[in-house]
Amino acid sequence: MIDIKETYLGFLERDNQLTKPVAAIQALLALLCELQPNTSAEMIDILQDAANTLKSSVSNSISLSAGCDLFLRFLTKNINASKDWDACRRNLVQNGNLFASRALDARSNIARIGLPFVRDHDTILVHGRSRAVIQLLQDAAMSNSVRFRVYITEARVCNEGVYMANILKKSGIPVCVVPDCSVGYVIDHTDKVFIGAEGVAESGGVINQIGSYQVAMLAKAANKPVYVFAESHKFVRMFPVSPSDLPGNEKLEFTSPVHPESIEMNLEAWPQVDFTPHQYITALVTDLGVLTPSGVSEELIKMWFD
Amino acid sequence: MSSKGDINTQISLFLTQLKRRQISGAKEVALATANLLIRFISSRRWVSTTAMIEQIRILGAKLVDAQPYELTCGNVIKRVLKNIRTINEAFAPKGNKDTDLEEDLNPSSSMLGLLSVSDSMNTSGDGDSSNNSSMANLTKHKSNEAEPGLTPSGYYVSEEVRAKARDLRNAVIDEIQSLIDEIQNDDPLFKAGIDMITDSDLLLTPCPSSKTMVDFLLKAAAKRNFTVIVTESYPNNVEKAKKMVQQLKNAGVKSTLIPDAAVFAVMAKVSKVVISARAVLANGGCIASSGVAMACHAAKQFTKPVLSIAGSYKLSPIYPFDVESLIEVGNSSKVIDFSDAELMDKLEVINPLYDYISPELIDIVISSDGGASPNFVYRLILDNYSEHDQHLSSVEIGAA
Repeated sequence: MIDIKETYLGFLERDNQLTKPVAAIQALLALLCELQPNTSAEMIDILQDAANTLKSSVSNSISLSAGCDLFLRFLTKNINASKDWDACRRNLVQNGNLFASRALDARSNIARIGLPFVRDHDTILVHGRSRAVIQLLQDAAMSNSVRFRVYITEARVCNEGVYMANILKKSGIPVCVVPDCSVGYVIDHTDKVFIGAEGVAESGGVINQIGSYQVAMLAKAANKPVYVFAESHKFVRMFPVSPSDLPGNEKLEFTSPVHPESIEMNLEAWPQVDFTPHQYITALVTDLGVLTPSGVSEELIKMWFD
Repeated sequence: MSSKGDINTQISLFLTQLKRRQISGAKEVALATANLLIRFISSRRWVSTTAMIEQIRILGAKLVDAQPYELTCGNVIKRVLKNIRTINEAFAPKGNKDTDLEEDLNPSSSMLGLLSVSDSMNTSGDGDSSNNSSMANLTKHKSNEAEPGLTPSGYYVSEEVRAKARDLRNAVIDEIQSLIDEIQNDDPLFKAGIDMITDSDLLLTPCPSSKTMVDFLLKAAAKRNFTVIVTESYPNNVEKAKKMVQQLKNAGVKSTLIPDAAVFAVMAKVSKVVISARAVLANGGCIASSGVAMACHAAKQFTKPVLSIAGSYKLSPIYPFDVESLIEVGNSSKVIDFSDAELMDKLEVINPLYDYISPELIDIVISSDGGASPNFVYRLILDNYSEHDQHLSSVEIGAA
């Protein structure tokens, strides 16, 4: 039997354009291919177990759990669609490869829908690395109809901002990397804030790379709009109220070292994501269109309760 | 039925009237646009809905470009386009819809798009319309049997389909007719609005120029006993403000006219602020006459509710990416008269005609369908308009 975690990580490694939820779906499908279950109950059991294993074995599992839940929901709803059990299973498996390409479509759709958000002479503040935001900004730069500049925060601990800045620079976009602590300094010169998302909670709040919360708060205080660019397969059925409600976010430790110079941060244990509540978000740009935060719950309700 | 030449004359006449503002005001423009569309559709033979949508979009782009600030013109065209798309789905035979049109424009990748069984592999199902922007698409079954004998080319030429095209034309015209009825009938809007007003309310309205507002207050006066404070709305609507107060007085409503500068001073005593929107935008924000935003900010400061009244034809699928492009600038001689040449020479005088009111400042948007929270407006927009018709022309306000 294949190891679900390894398969998942393998998918992520092979294609760096793949999002975590889609990789999770791919991994579950690969498992389905291999096991050839004979009854629908067996199939659901196997996949449910695998999904649980995957969720518990990977740290920062929010967005992959969105993919797992979505796939299981799809299975349970469609399991009786086909008269023939073999045909049903075959169909599911056959379509696996289409998923990734469609997920990429979602991203280009976001870029298409989000293009008017980039206006001429804009200065945009970006926090964290997001493939949706990268594609949008690249498309905007390619269109040649708008000139804009981008502040990118360093996004410590992972320094994803620096990575993203390099990608944007290659596309000829004027970029300025700023430390996370100077968001307040640059916010006055910013027209709007763009962030991506690891997951979008039911309230319309966003789970994203750590630091997004404070950036969104500063933007709100400075009366700047905050736009979130996220694929709809990242919508999760969670209702966190504060960052400490996120699974896997450990409590930080307090220490009083004897020698002050020995203070060091344990970067490994640092939480990687935080939660930005919906009131700080102006709009979510998704492949389903531009939604207000309250629109997310509507989509989730349509999906899960009908 | 008018000939083709006739309709072209009518179109260019309408374009001129729009440009010269001989037709102006949200409602008048909406009605005129709908009537023109009826004539346009009945003047031609339509082979397919695709062609019809295409032609109406071209016409719509011309109209929108002629007077970009009259958003209701575009709204009516987009509503009609949505209706045609809906009718198309009902008319086209299963498994042979004009879905190419939808899919070319929007390779929908909703949750369904991601997971659904592909059309080519699922031989027993038809190409389910994937333009429905919803996660719920994911779980839709594709169980309809395709009709094997119908090829797309056969679909367009057969006699049976010609008859269908005639039916289609009639169906579309019926839809536009009911849209016109809806635009003309303000009663549901007023009824919903009156529910929000109680006896002994002290209303403030910064929209004396709006005919809807005057009609609404007069209608409400028959049922409720309230007082109205009207702002002068200098410099564009002073005369209209005076007239409004007079009309209200004549109807037995206690009313007061105040200068715009006094809005903040009276706000503490006001119980509700009622505004009439020229357009309601996709994010729930509104475009209204200038001076309204100030009143709404004052209301926010005193936490007084702001009611925005707008017929559903004013719902516009445009997102206010660039607020300044939505604001029309008017005659500056209303601020400083041109006879004051010495001053006029030295100054730059601007007279914006509208204000953008952001959704945070509005508590409820009252439309013909009842009240809605501003952050629900996007849903009304998604229900009333197709995503493909958000912009008719590339230079349209709010377009990329």
